[in-house]
Amino acid sequence: MVSVLLAEQSYLLRKGLIHILRQFPEVGEIEILGSQLGIGEVLQHFEPDLLIVNSAITAASPDKKWDSLLPEGCRLLHIINTGLPQGAPENQLSIYDSKVALTDKISKALKTISADKAQEESEELTPREKLILQHVALGKTNKEIAADLFISTHTVISHRKNITRKLDIKSVSGLTVYAILNGIINMEDIS
Amino acid sequence: MRIHADMKMADLVHLNFEVLAVVQRLQIPFGFKDKTISDVCREHNINVDFFLQLVQWFNERENFPQEQLIQGDAQWLVRYLHHTHQCYLNYQIPRIEKEIEFLEQLPDMPDHSARLMLEFFREYIREFTEHIEDEENTTFPYILALGNTLSGNMDLETFRKRYKTYTIDKYLEHHSDLEEKVFDLQSILLRHLPPPSSNCHFTNLLLEISRLGNDLKDHTLLEENVLIPKARQMELELNQGSTNQ
Repeated sequence: MVSVLLAEQSYLLRKGLIHILRQFPEVGEIEILGSQLGIGEVLQHFEPDLLIVNSAITAASPDKKWDSLLPEGCRLLHIINTGLPQGAPENQLSIYDSKVALTDKISKALKTISADKAQEESEELTPREKLILQHVALGKTNKEIAADLFISTHTVISHRKNITRKLDIKSVSGLTVYAILNGIINMEDIS
Repeated sequence: MRIHADMKMADLVHLNFEVLAVVQRLQIPFGFKDKTISDVCREHNINVDFFLQLVQWFNERENFPQEQLIQGDAQWLVRYLHHTHQCYLNYQIPRIEKEIEFLEQLPDMPDHSARLMLEFFREYIREFTEHIEDEENTTFPYILALGNTLSGNMDLETFRKRYKTYTIDKYLEHHSDLEEKVFDLQSILLRHLPPPSSNCHFTNLLLEISRLGNDLKDHTLLEENVLIPKARQMELELNQGSTNQ
């Protein structure tokens, strides 16, 4: 499922875009923001796969602090409040675009996201991931795991992301419960 | 559907039972008889605009009244959030804890699994309580003091003395995610635990957890997208005001 964050001030535009987004079965949760206020927190929290944001909202926070908060792999579509010249980038939606044009652009963005997701999507944990999970459940930090297994912390983080995605469990204590239930560690191993 | 102040309170509840949460958290007693929303709010000294903004949002989810809520008086939001905390701590969370305790007695639960779940949830309760105490003891009084200073009910010097270094950013530094573990618990129960036979019980537990999770999402939205921007706005106003003097 693709999660979408829509940051747009206009109620009418929001309604219209949600209507189009809902036509795609792969679109899951849609979160809405009516201004730039709190956008950083929501991005961090909600971790959308697609951010559709009005250019007036991007302009309202010119330091673009939240830009660095975009979760990895999150695509961006801009809503432009004017017409677009010929050959404008595919990631710009004009408020004057026809439904066909909008659907087309959104569909392309969704396709790339779905393709990215399909690549990573296999639900079973690999033996490597199980090993990492074992270390996480024993309470080790990324750094310690990296040192134990002779890999970089970056690799540990990327494994952990995959584990969380596959199991749908984010917290360390949740992962520990899973690890015990599945015999990856023993109850006695943890104090 | 547009909800307006002349609508009967009882009709509003019939329209959408979810708004009962708002009624409860603003401590409005039942027994509405034929009274309108504005009658009931006036009787109980509730800001009718605030009430309408919340129930309208509960009724039409994709339309979060962020700007109106930020413009409103912060004391109403703080009051609402405070009673929401009470509801979690005194009712929703203990209920879930009891339900998990009950799982332990089921004969077909795999070894240790209920105990694990219970320990996981109790650890969560500890974190949750800490988080809420921090808000109740520090953040909320700070925001109320900000409002009082701006409206002239507290003098600037007292405020400055009391909050020499505290700003809303301090709160954000250790503002942890309260929903995360609730959704983890839901995943473990739903996806990773062999299904116990007492389905009715198990389903009920899942429903309660999902209700708490969704409610916490609303709570976080109100905190992150209304309370914090509102506090920042007031801090700015206060700083500008004091440099102008």
